[in-house]
Amino acid sequence: MCTGSSVSDASFGPNVKILNSNSQIVELQTIIRDKNTSRSDFKFYADRLIRLVIEESLNQLPYSDCSVETPTGAIYDGLKYRSGNCGVSIVRSGEAMEQGLRDCCRSIRIGKILVESDADTHVAKVVYARFPDDIARRQVLLMYPIMSTGNTVLQAVNVLKEHGVPEDCIILSNLFCTPIAAKTVVGAFPQMKILTSELHPVAPNHFGQKYFGTD
Amino acid sequence: MWSVGKMSASKKHTSFDPPSSASSDSDVNDRHDLEPLLIDHVGANGICNGSTDGHGVDYCCPASPTTVPAKTARSNSSESTVRPPRTARQRQRTTSMSQKTSNPSESIIRANNRTIYTAGRPPWYNCAGQQVEPFVIGICGGSASGKTTVAQKIIESLDVPWVTLLSMDCFYKILNDKQHDQALQNEYNFDHPDAFDIDLMIDVLRKLKEGRKVEVPIYNFITHSREPTTKTMYGANVIIFEGILVFHSPEVLKLLDMKVFVDTDADIRLARRLKRDISQRGRDLEGVLKQYSTMVKPSYANYIAPTMVHADIIVPRGGENKVAIHLIVQHVHTQLQLRGFKLRETLANSYIGEPMPDSLHLLPTTPQIKGLHTFIRNRETSRDEFIFYSKRLIRLVIEYALSLFPFTPVTVETPQGVTYEGQRLACKRICGVSILRAGETMEQAICDVCKDIRIGKILIQTNQVTGEPELYYLRLPKDIKDFKVILMDATVATGAAAMMAIRVLLDHDVPEENIMLVSLLMAEIGVHSIAYAFPNVRIVTSALDPEINEKFYVIPGIGNFGDRYFGTEPSEEYIS
Repeated sequence: MCTGSSVSDASFGPNVKILNSNSQIVELQTIIRDKNTSRSDFKFYADRLIRLVIEESLNQLPYSDCSVETPTGAIYDGLKYRSGNCGVSIVRSGEAMEQGLRDCCRSIRIGKILVESDADTHVAKVVYARFPDDIARRQVLLMYPIMSTGNTVLQAVNVLKEHGVPEDCIILSNLFCTPIAAKTVVGAFPQMKILTSELHPVAPNHFGQKYFGTD
Repeated sequence: MWSVGKMSASKKHTSFDPPSSASSDSDVNDRHDLEPLLIDHVGANGICNGSTDGHGVDYCCPASPTTVPAKTARSNSSESTVRPPRTARQRQRTTSMSQKTSNPSESIIRANNRTIYTAGRPPWYNCAGQQVEPFVIGICGGSASGKTTVAQKIIESLDVPWVTLLSMDCFYKILNDKQHDQALQNEYNFDHPDAFDIDLMIDVLRKLKEGRKVEVPIYNFITHSREPTTKTMYGANVIIFEGILVFHSPEVLKLLDMKVFVDTDADIRLARRLKRDISQRGRDLEGVLKQYSTMVKPSYANYIAPTMVHADIIVPRGGENKVAIHLIVQHVHTQLQLRGFKLRETLANSYIGEPMPDSLHLLPTTPQIKGLHTFIRNRETSRDEFIFYSKRLIRLVIEYALSLFPFTPVTVETPQGVTYEGQRLACKRICGVSILRAGETMEQAICDVCKDIRIGKILIQTNQVTGEPELYYLRLPKDIKDFKVILMDATVATGAAAMMAIRVLLDHDVPEENIMLVSLLMAEIGVHSIAYAFPNVRIVTSALDPEINEKFYVIPGIGNFGDRYFGTEPSEEYIS
């Protein structure tokens, strides 16, 4: 069976997958991390990386075999994705990934979660969540580009679980992840799939600010 | 001041078609789009004639281009109301032409100032992608001996799809002010070997013989300088080079595969010249005779007649000599057959069961890619969905293609205060070239991933009769040789069109290793053919299909990608 173009990271178990790295992906990461990158370049290259991560996340969704007849009259043995998926973005930086998902799945439903960290205690707290009614029956693509501690994601997944989404039906799409965050999240939700483009001790925390231009 | 241009151009087109070559900029502009330039050309070639010498064939060959003094010219235009209307027209002495397009009005579509030719250039290389050396015919002879008529008769009888006709007139030297004045006084010797830029001539001819693209100068006989624009020409199956001193240079002689001397009686030539210069160019008898006796005749005796010894065939009486023309044509046919041009069928029947070449880069077959293929291959898929899913697939293919370019390590500073060891693309100059029409569907994706990328286009169509690909149009970025080129076509079946496009890029001096052919779907045979012919061209695709059918569609395939994308499929009733 096809496994997509990502590999599992052995130290975090089979459910943490890293996009197959090549020089081009490293270039995108380099531009995003470079402090001298202009905002227009930043957004352009971030969108490219997001698109690649989203495409790879979609590879994690369940599918079944499907044969079709081509215009030449021959049969092509392809496959078909199940319907009943949805996206959930974590406000604000997760919303940067919504367009990438829309570009791949035109009419997909997208829910939102707003998690805020208390300025003093750093405790993350969900202040807003809005999902499709039947989210419990769907595969959920949870979008959040930067994970440094993993706390925000923990809260978001908790909310999803409260709404009846099984842990193994959640796929986390992420661009940059620290090993600490990966460890925290996997420890809390071993059944959830995590897809990232890079595991690196320093996360580019300026992502949301620069992407939306509020720095 | 030359008001004769317009009426002329449309009047008579018996002899020379507009080039149905795939033309680059200069050629398209100067020939078809711009009225002022057209007028200029009429002037440039002397006031041309429209004289039909009994056979309905123009033989206006200003072997010694004569300059009409400015005064005369002016008086002419006022006189032209009393004279019978002159049928001056643009004379295309240097042109690449296709035998099949006898009627220019049928072979050209004009839209938005662009000219598209409906008869294209067939393959000029064999099935290994290598140049097949064209057959070069040199035609020499005195002024007004009928060289052009002979050339034209040969082209008519040859019935080969592609002939390039190059005239020595293009290589006249640029005159300085003094020489320019001499020319106005009929005292500059245009019949002397020194009047020609022999080095440039050799260079152009050699490149044509190698099948390369050349810029041929356009000589302006009014200013005695070269036009700022040039005419782009390509080597063809047959190249004909004609002029009064074609056999003069030993270097040129070496390049000629066949040498023809047109030997027409001196008094006939003088009679033609008198008729042409006096009745069509409004010059006086005295001036013409002076030029003839002081320059044209001595030059013929000194420089032209002695070169007759080099000729393989001497054609007495010029174009009327049917037997001689027939002999020449037969010989050329034999030579061309020995060189061989049949392509597509040869490609489709080779390489069965061979392992795939190293230059092939197949995208990892992820479930998404297979799912996307399922959508776009399904005949039931609506066009809306077809476009959407093919765009997604194209984006993935383009991203993958870019990752194959060389990168260099860099260290950057991050806002987090640590440095980051990253990579940057090593080549800054990348351009896309799409093979019309299906390749164009990939342009958007490449623009979405490469900021400000330049895009070139090549139009190649399959000739419905021969099944061979033909080149119709191309427009490429300047200095394309300095770019890494991503060549895009949605599907590759036999690879014939892609090979032609690659050949075009090579002819524009793009190194083979800088070319990457990118497509959504390829047939194994196409990959083999391309990899065999061009081992250094990288081939990128998202799927490989094993077969092609008798219509050269890939099996199981996508169908006609361009038709499905652009919505131009033939309707059901039309098929049945």
